[in-house]
Amino acid sequence: MTLVHNWHLGRRMEYPYFESRPKHQFAAVFNINRCIACQTCTMACKSAWTYNKGQEYMWWNNVETKPYGGYPQSWDVKTLKLIDNGENTWYTDEKDEKLSPYGVYEGDTIFEAAAKKNINQWAVGYIPEDKEWRAPNFGEDVAKSNKPDEYSSLPEHSRWFFYIQRLCNHCTYPGCLAACPRKAIYKRKEDGIVLIDQKRCRGYRKCVEQCPYKKPMYRGLTRVSEKCIACYPRIEGRDPLTKGRPMETRCMAACVGQIRLQGFLDDNPKNPVTWLIKHDKLALPLYPQFGTEPNIYYIPPRWAPRSYLRQMFGPGVDEAIDKFMVPSRERLAVLSLFRMTQTIIFEYKIEEGPKVFETTIHGKKFELYNDTVIGLGEDGQEVVRTTVEEPVYIRDPKHYNSI
Amino acid sequence: MKKTYSFLKRYGVALLSSAFLSTALFAADEAPGVKGASDEEFIPAKEVLTIKYVDVGKPYHLDVETLHGFFNDAKGVTVPLQKQDKAFPNGGGSVNNAEVKAIHDGLTVYFKVSWSDPSKNARAIAVQEFRDAVALMFPLGAVEITPAEHFSPRMGDREKPTNLWHWKADWEADLLVKGELEDVEAQYPNMHDDFNLNPYSAYYHRELITSVEVLSGGRAANNLLSQPWRGRSVEDLNAEGFGTLTTQDHQDVNGCSKYDDGVWTVIFYRSLITNDPHDVQFVPGGTSYFNMAVWNGGEQDRNGQKNISIQWHPVTLERVAWQ
Repeated sequence: MTLVHNWHLGRRMEYPYFESRPKHQFAAVFNINRCIACQTCTMACKSAWTYNKGQEYMWWNNVETKPYGGYPQSWDVKTLKLIDNGENTWYTDEKDEKLSPYGVYEGDTIFEAAAKKNINQWAVGYIPEDKEWRAPNFGEDVAKSNKPDEYSSLPEHSRWFFYIQRLCNHCTYPGCLAACPRKAIYKRKEDGIVLIDQKRCRGYRKCVEQCPYKKPMYRGLTRVSEKCIACYPRIEGRDPLTKGRPMETRCMAACVGQIRLQGFLDDNPKNPVTWLIKHDKLALPLYPQFGTEPNIYYIPPRWAPRSYLRQMFGPGVDEAIDKFMVPSRERLAVLSLFRMTQTIIFEYKIEEGPKVFETTIHGKKFELYNDTVIGLGEDGQEVVRTTVEEPVYIRDPKHYNSI
Repeated sequence: MKKTYSFLKRYGVALLSSAFLSTALFAADEAPGVKGASDEEFIPAKEVLTIKYVDVGKPYHLDVETLHGFFNDAKGVTVPLQKQDKAFPNGGGSVNNAEVKAIHDGLTVYFKVSWSDPSKNARAIAVQEFRDAVALMFPLGAVEITPAEHFSPRMGDREKPTNLWHWKADWEADLLVKGELEDVEAQYPNMHDDFNLNPYSAYYHRELITSVEVLSGGRAANNLLSQPWRGRSVEDLNAEGFGTLTTQDHQDVNGCSKYDDGVWTVIFYRSLITNDPHDVQFVPGGTSYFNMAVWNGGEQDRNGQKNISIQWHPVTLERVAWQ
């Protein structure tokens, strides 16, 4: 094992390989508050990559209802149990803006739990059986009641559920990559996408076992494992539509609810994804305690119980929800970029506009400015321009009855 | 403290090995997750397997029933097997030994391996199911294996390549499906219908389902595991150390098997000499070594989770009758 730095955990942790970060990392921000679980993302992925024989049960992208849903069933609860040592807590008194923005995780990661338990493999895990994959939307829209005698009250509801949109996290320290005994899994240096070499894979299913998010899947027909490939031909700009510029994946581009923004995590503070994740800390990693440094980030739902959300997204939840409920001027502008283009935005610019509205939300003053946000592509050219206030179009009376 | 612990964990084995063993060559090559080997592993077993010359003729069927009679006069060796406990992931330990017999007829060499396994696992289609398998390993080229000349009995070493013959129970089952792969319907007969209620499920419209071309990364990348029409149950591979196992471009080994009363019997056969430089070559009158491993699918054995022999076993080939 070597020691690598995991900024989600705010500390160094053990991992079988050295720290090696890509030039820029495939990443995305999902706004859970806006998702309606229409599964358009799920079907966009299915119809692109997993419609074939032997892939019937595979959903590289899926949307499940929390707390009861899970694909495969109870994947998160089972893995959380495996790393539970009774003191999986966070030390949040001291934070370092860069190295430990959420504090320090004091429990075990999947790698450390395996070393402690002396099970002679790289990470703890389990292989979900076929029946656990079979009902991908089991538990859909089933609410949990915390206080059965009371009805909803904001900010947290007493009856609640929310949707979580999941695909491969293209982790910085992938459990699947660590698990593979023959190095058939690799992380691309150029964009951090994690892939299974279909020639070297021998279907051992160690990746299925040791990925905590259960996103590598075994294909019985070809006897090897497959996983989300982050639509890499689109990322490489090989789709003619974006004229050679990197293009968002199928699941991102298809999002009807406009909850998704994809990009690359880098050091540019004016990159919308980097800004939301690292500077504003509005978007949080999914189960950071697993220790793989996942790269899909979520704006947590404001109505769900905080203790549940803290377990799922770490200690940054309260701050993120406060920020989301009363968004700042810049935050509102960046959030307006979601789903405005399928060309990947590398940088944003804001042109200030007039103040159009002000109010008080939970005792805090909120002002709305109709700023114009401009998204720039990889080449620095403008790829999208939008305003914070959606423009209103009034239909001409002669078209009132036209469809 | 953690750093010191990690340093010791990573380099401790290497340091100890260098101190106690005359050569530190193999220790320096150690990867994380791999424990050093003891010196005894570099001493080949005493018992020699004689590959007996038997005139097999031209058997009409190359199956276990036809071939096993030819092994009657061959003297076998019993190879002790144990858990693989050196390279991550460790595992195995459910099969204690296997019996190996070998014959040749001047053209073809036959190795018969039998071991007891209470469960037959001849399919690897469901995500939680693993196949039974057995592999023979031979050092490539003319080598002398002594404690002074380290040649790892575990998958070989860098610059010390091995040739492996890997028989798989599910490949044998695939052969019965007109040389095709066993399809997903073999595992899930009513997969095209919900709730398994329809007695005339879409499975019977096989033409319709098979008319759609299978798109697969594994097939496109020519992964032999994914290919239909491979027409054999034994894979011909090379390795030079843990994690280096690679399928050969040219497949030369065949096999047949029988599972009866809790005992697997597998016969590997290949011509004594091949054109492939990556293959082990057998010369009547010559000597070589072999080692082996058994996978018990019922115990979720695969890759390093296997029952292995930790010693090379010498083999000699009897001269042919006309020599």
